[in-house]
Amino acid sequence: MADEDRRKFLKVATCAIGGGVGLVVAAPVLTLIADPAGKVTVTTPTAPLDLGLADRFQAGAPPRRVDVVAPVVKDAWTAARNVVLGAAWVRRTAPDKIVALSAVCPHLGCAVGWDAAAGNFLCPCHDSRFGVAGERLTGPSERGLDELPLQVVDGRLQLTWVRYKPGQTVREPA
Amino acid sequence: MKAQVRSFLRDRGLLGETAPATIAGGASFAYAFGTVVTFLVVLEAVTGVALAAFYAPSSTDAWASVAYVQDQVSLGWLLRGLHYHGASAIVIVTSLHLVQTALYGAYKKPRELVWWLGILLMLLTLAWAVTGFVLRWDQAGFWANKVEVGIAAATPLLGQLIKKLALGGNDYGNLTLTRFYALHVMVLPVVVGGVIAGHVALARKLGATPLGERPAGPRWPEQTLRNAIAVAVVFAILLAYVIHVHGADLAQPADPSLAYDARPLWYFRWLFLLRELAGSAEKLVAMATPAVVIGALVALPLADRGPAREPRRRLPYLGGLAGLLALIGGLTIVSVASDAGNDELAKRDAKAEQRAQLARKLARDNGVPVTGAADVFWTSPMARARALFATRCKSCHDAESKERKGPIIAPGHADRAWIAGMIKDPDGDAYWGRTKLAKTEAAMKPFDQMKSPDIDDIVEVIYAESGASDVDPAKRERGLAVFENACSDCHAREDGMPGSSAPGLAGFASRAYYLSFIGNPKSALHMGRDKSQMPRFDKELTLDERDALAEYLVWLRTATPADLAALDPY
Repeated sequence: MADEDRRKFLKVATCAIGGGVGLVVAAPVLTLIADPAGKVTVTTPTAPLDLGLADRFQAGAPPRRVDVVAPVVKDAWTAARNVVLGAAWVRRTAPDKIVALSAVCPHLGCAVGWDAAAGNFLCPCHDSRFGVAGERLTGPSERGLDELPLQVVDGRLQLTWVRYKPGQTVREPA
Repeated sequence: MKAQVRSFLRDRGLLGETAPATIAGGASFAYAFGTVVTFLVVLEAVTGVALAAFYAPSSTDAWASVAYVQDQVSLGWLLRGLHYHGASAIVIVTSLHLVQTALYGAYKKPRELVWWLGILLMLLTLAWAVTGFVLRWDQAGFWANKVEVGIAAATPLLGQLIKKLALGGNDYGNLTLTRFYALHVMVLPVVVGGVIAGHVALARKLGATPLGERPAGPRWPEQTLRNAIAVAVVFAILLAYVIHVHGADLAQPADPSLAYDARPLWYFRWLFLLRELAGSAEKLVAMATPAVVIGALVALPLADRGPAREPRRRLPYLGGLAGLLALIGGLTIVSVASDAGNDELAKRDAKAEQRAQLARKLARDNGVPVTGAADVFWTSPMARARALFATRCKSCHDAESKERKGPIIAPGHADRAWIAGMIKDPDGDAYWGRTKLAKTEAAMKPFDQMKSPDIDDIVEVIYAESGASDVDPAKRERGLAVFENACSDCHAREDGMPGSSAPGLAGFASRAYYLSFIGNPKSALHMGRDKSQMPRFDKELTLDERDALAEYLVWLRTATPADLAALDPY
């Protein structure tokens, strides 16, 4: 019987030591793998981005496509400069008002173009059309084009880049 | 219940005797080495998978991704350390395993194949370490690999082909990393795993080789417990060491243009020293020595064929092996010790370590440029401008310079106090006093008689030209009238206008102004053709370089000497 007890103790000790070593190895491995889940690993600037001089945009002119460029995008270990985040269609709607519409189609996220002949916006992917003010005309898109926050500071356009969730009627930041 | 589960599994072929129930000669710590090595290999695999989830095998990103794991991911340093020093532990424990096997005569018939597979495993382990060391793409890994590939390239006939296959082309680059990465994380794990499986299966089938006559004992749990204890002890030592040295070192990013005191991984140090001692025969020695050592180990079971396993009856063979190991150990110690006694090397190493720490700090703070990790130094604030200033501007413009020929450029340059000082005494030593223009007819006369409010108002007029955001509009308004009276005979303030006999002040001390001035100080807009000794830089420096200097000069206006000193080095 004493030998039985001894064998049992040895078995328990073996499993305890093996399990202990396994845990000490597993804990940091899982910590490492899970680390990015709790972090902002790719930064997109939340501050307004400069789109150049405001007086380039004339009242009555058709919308102009302007690249939205972030000065710096940090992506885990790299910092890339002058990264194109997307594009906006900018138009002066009144002498003192300029509007920027995101070129991201609210349907499924394709890049919306300006159809000069028809005088409205056209998404090349699923033929959604939007009026010059961004309102929904035809096609599968659930809502009109998304307006982006825009300010004029010292004569320069300052645009805040926002990505909205596609494929829904409600406008909601992604 | 337990019995039911067991029989359920056994019936489905999942449970059976994988190992003999008994072990010849009874349980012993001497048999634990194989298990410890296997554990360490599994540890390498597990930590390796975790690290691979963060690694980018590209010449621009590799160093940055390793630095990211080391410095910015929770416990990343610990896993890097376990992975890196775990490889050293494998080398040490494998060597002990080899010594134990030799001592017990376990290489003898019918176990020759187990012995040879073991030697193959040692070599594969070393190849595993070599392919891993280059992946960090820092100075240490890069230069060590250059030497290793250089040795391989000396192989007769096939050398150049081996080199091109290893590097993935004619030179170090992206393909070098993708290749070594594929070898390190895909090919070698599969090969090593397969050989270990064969080695272990054969060893188990043939059984242990105890010394002397002792009864067999149960494997489970007697031997298993000893194995577990050995694993726990080795792991505890490894863990303690890794925590003590905080992971693994990381030198500055690989830079083919920057000399580095390349040292191989410590287990190749004996070969490194042998090469050095061999002089002109270094390539031959580097190739032949490992071949001789491997050959001797492979030949051991063929030479020592007698049935006797007692060590004292195999003294010549054991003596030979001991001599070989002692030689390798001795050479390793001499190589490390001679480095430790080299003060010049210590100085260079200290400097390299300083650069490594700076690179890692900059990578942490600013991210690494997509142009490559070596450019991380240029993310230091205004690094390019400060480097240019040091080589192109300092001798004529720095307060400390003995050959100074122009105004001092220092923190506070072109701020209100500087402008006021300039107006009061343009020929002062800190201003134009050391130029050839000073004290000539063409030089500006001092306005030291001008009263305080007037001078402050003019200062505001000139200061406003820089585009500074803290201009006092009322002061400037008053100053404009005074400027018209006192200054506009010589200076112009209108955009693009040269003064009648002195520099135009439009945009003075703004970035655009500096860019233009640095490009051509002799322009009519600035000093004029005959009034400046400063060379034009529009041909010598690129537009980007001049703009970087202009940005720096604008920054200096609001900076203090403490701000300047606080900038990271570059």
